[in-house]
Amino acid sequence: MLSLTVLYDPECGLCRRAHEWLNDQLKLVELNFVACASDEARKRYPQLNHDLTKQDLTVITEDGWVYFGPKAWLMVLWALTRYRDWSYRLAAPELLPTTKRVVSVISQNRYQISRAAGLSR
Amino acid sequence: MTIGLSTYLIYLALSIALTIWVGRTLHKNGRVFLVDVFHGNEALADSVNHLLVVGFYLINFGYVSLALKLGYTIETAEQSVEALSVKIGMVLLVLGGMHLFNLFVFSRMRRRATAHHQPPVGPDAFTPVQQEAA
Repeated sequence: MLSLTVLYDPECGLCRRAHEWLNDQLKLVELNFVACASDEARKRYPQLNHDLTKQDLTVITEDGWVYFGPKAWLMVLWALTRYRDWSYRLAAPELLPTTKRVVSVISQNRYQISRAAGLSR
Repeated sequence: MTIGLSTYLIYLALSIALTIWVGRTLHKNGRVFLVDVFHGNEALADSVNHLLVVGFYLINFGYVSLALKLGYTIETAEQSVEALSVKIGMVLLVLGGMHLFNLFVFSRMRRRATAHHQPPVGPDAFTPVQQEAA
């Protein structure tokens, strides 16, 4: 696996900020960013449920394996040189439920968080 | 030569010999591990191996040197043997501890180098990818 495609929400300030941060990080795996439910995304993944990708972060491998929500976040961490260890820690059976809960809360409230942090357009 | 001085000399000779023996063992057998860790980069493996052994020698000789002083005078051969057994025993324990620590470092480096290639989680689904050219 040499690259991951990240379907992110360009409407959300927090996601754009995360996108910028990710661009600056050293990576073990290349990350390609594509706006979710965009024409490009629809062209590349004709059979994907694009309404679902608007709800939460989606990561797709070159081979077409789809990681959704908390798993997608873990895959993004896994791609980063400095945080690969953390992706395993957070994915450990003892921590995975907590990781999923925290990530879901952030995802569902991303517009409010963006607004509160002053990251909205 | 007094019996006290000979005790010190025997202690030094035995400690140095033991340290060198363990150090050489580590150096000889640790190399295979390190070559594997560094994906066959032998020059880097040799360099790290050498640096680890230097650290090992420094710590052990430092301990041997600090632990030299007995703090009481030895008058009989029996006392000398007893004092030697305590001192050499301590040196052996420190050597053993250092040796295990080295093994731990080697195995940890190896695990880090080999294990972390698989993604942390399994995928949720599969979708066909439309290649750019198509």
